[in-house]
Amino acid sequence: MSDDTREFIETLRSTGDLLEIDDEVSWDLELGAISRLACEKDGPALWFKRIADYPKDVSVFVNPMATWRRVAAAFGLAPTSSVKEIYQEYERREGKLIPPVTVDRGPCKEVRWVGDKIDLFNLPAPMLHEGDGGRYIGTWDLAVSRDPSTNWVNWGMYRFMVYDSTHLTGFPRPTSHLGKVFQDHYVSKGKAMPLAIVIGADPLSHFAAAATYHLGGDEAALAGGLKGSPVELIRCEASDLLVPARAEIVIEGEALPDRVALEGPYGEYPGYRTGEMGNGILVRATAVTHRRSPILTVDATGYKDDSSTITAMSGAVAIKRRLERHGVPVVDVYLPPEGAVHLAVIAVQFGGKEIARKILETLTSRRALLSKIFMVETDVDIFDIGKVLHAFSTKCHPAHGVHAVHYEGRANTLTPCYSQAERAAQKGATVLFDCTWPGEWSRQWEVPVKATLDSIFPESIRQKALERWRGYGFKQ
Amino acid sequence: MASNSKRKSWETFVRRPTDLPEGVEIPLVLRDLNPGRRKYGMRHVVAIVGKDEHPAQMDLLYVRTVVGVLLPEPMRIKILRELPIELPGQAYRDFFGALRAAAKEAKQN
Repeated sequence: MSDDTREFIETLRSTGDLLEIDDEVSWDLELGAISRLACEKDGPALWFKRIADYPKDVSVFVNPMATWRRVAAAFGLAPTSSVKEIYQEYERREGKLIPPVTVDRGPCKEVRWVGDKIDLFNLPAPMLHEGDGGRYIGTWDLAVSRDPSTNWVNWGMYRFMVYDSTHLTGFPRPTSHLGKVFQDHYVSKGKAMPLAIVIGADPLSHFAAAATYHLGGDEAALAGGLKGSPVELIRCEASDLLVPARAEIVIEGEALPDRVALEGPYGEYPGYRTGEMGNGILVRATAVTHRRSPILTVDATGYKDDSSTITAMSGAVAIKRRLERHGVPVVDVYLPPEGAVHLAVIAVQFGGKEIARKILETLTSRRALLSKIFMVETDVDIFDIGKVLHAFSTKCHPAHGVHAVHYEGRANTLTPCYSQAERAAQKGATVLFDCTWPGEWSRQWEVPVKATLDSIFPESIRQKALERWRGYGFKQ
Repeated sequence: MASNSKRKSWETFVRRPTDLPEGVEIPLVLRDLNPGRRKYGMRHVVAIVGKDEHPAQMDLLYVRTVVGVLLPEPMRIKILRELPIELPGQAYRDFFGALRAAAKEAKQN
C-alpha cells in the first residue's frame, strides 16, 4: 500500500490509471474543466506538471480515487476487483485499527513558511468551477482538530478556500465532527481552535478522513488499519497537533470563534452548487510547511467525484453497522456513485412498515445526510442499479410503500432540492421506498413470481440452459 | 481608500438583488479579478455602486448571485474605505450581517 501521494502516483502509473499532463495549464478554470470531464467520463487520475503563474517544481494531482479501479489500487487490490469485492475488503479491514506512530522528522517539513513568509497565493489552488466563491485549496485534504475535553483527535475532509495571503474560509458543516467540536468547545468559550489542513497524505489517510466514522473514532488508527501499517505523524510548527509526516503540504492555522468572512458558494459533491454561502468558518494561517516540489492534491468536486466512491463506500458500511446495532435485519448496503451520497440501497431479510420506520429513525436521528432510500429484499443484487430500479418500479406500492420522515436542525444543507429557507433552518426530509413484498402475503398464493432465469424455471432446465449456452452460439 | 485612476475589475456576491442599492454607501465583499497569482483575493469594503457610466472613471463591478450565477450587466463601483478582513461575528453565523455591522461600526468611529 502507498505510504504517500508520490508512491500512489507510481502505483497508478503502473496500473494505467494516471494521465500526466506536461503542457502548461491554467489554474483558473482550465484545470477544473479538464478534471471535471475526467470524472464524468470515468477517466484516469490527472497529474498536471506545469501550472501557469507558478514555478515548474509545483504540480497538481487530481481525482485520486474517483474510480473503483483507483480505490482498488489504493487498497492494494487488483484494479479489476468488483465493487462488491472492494466493499468486502473495506469491511474486513475497517475493524482492525493500527495506531499511528510519532516521528521527529518527515518530508512535510522540508520547506517552512512562518510569520511574514506565509503567502497562500504561492500554492496553485485552482478555481475549479466558474462562479465558485473562491479558489478551493482544501478538497482532497485532511483537517486535523482536537476535542480539548477528551483529547480526541478528528480527521475530516472538509472544503477550504483561499481568502487572502494568510486566511482561509471553510465549510465543515455545523453537524460535522469538526463543526460540533468547534462549536461546543471553542466558539462557546471564545477560544480559537488549532487546526491543520493536510494536503497530499497517503491515499488511505484521506479515505479515513472522508469516511463516515463514529464520533470519538480514531481516523489515524483507521488509516493504519486500512493500510496495514501505522501512519507516521509529526508535530505541527505552531500547535501540538500531529499530522502525517509524508504529506505534501500542511497549512496550520486557527479557526476563529468570533470572526467571519465569506465562504462559498461552491460546486460540491451532490453535483450542484447550492446557495450555501456565507455560513462557514474563518481560519487564520499560522504556518505552512511542504515537501520540496510540492504536489497539491485536488478533488474536482461535482458529479461522480471522489466522494462517489470513497465517502459512499464508507457511508454504506457505517449505515450497515448502525442498522445492525438497532436490530434492523440488514444484509447489505450500497450507495451507488450516481446517487451522490444522497441515495442508499438497503437489502433486508424482510421489510414492511415497521422496518421502514426503524431505518428512517436510525439514519436521521443525529444528522441526516441521505434523502432517499430503496429498501429491497435479498433476491436483488444491490450492486446492480438496474436490478434495483426494476425492484423499485415493480415492487414499491405507490401509495403504501412510500415512507417519509421530516426533521429540522439536522438536514444536509448541500442537498440541492431544498429551498434557501429550508437550508437556513437545516430542515429536510428522507423518504424510503419499500421495494419488498408485504410480509402478510402468501408466498404460494399472492407473491408474484419473478420472471427471471433464476426464479421462473426448474433448476434442471436452468442448469441445462447455462451449460449449453455457448454451444447454442452465444458469445457471452 | 479611493480607486486607482486605472479602471480595475472586481466581483461581488450578494444574497438578493435588493442588496445592491445604487448611490448610497454599502458594505461589500470584493474579489480581485485582475490576472495573476493573486486573482480572486478577497477584501471587505464600503463602496458606492451604480449602473450608469460615471464621468469620473469608476471601477467595474461584476455581480454574482447566491448560487454563483453572473448577472449579465456589470455595475460601476467606487471604493470608499476598507473594512477588516477578519470581521467580528460568530463562526457559522451570517457573514453579510457581520459585514453590515462592521460598516456601521466603522461609520460611527
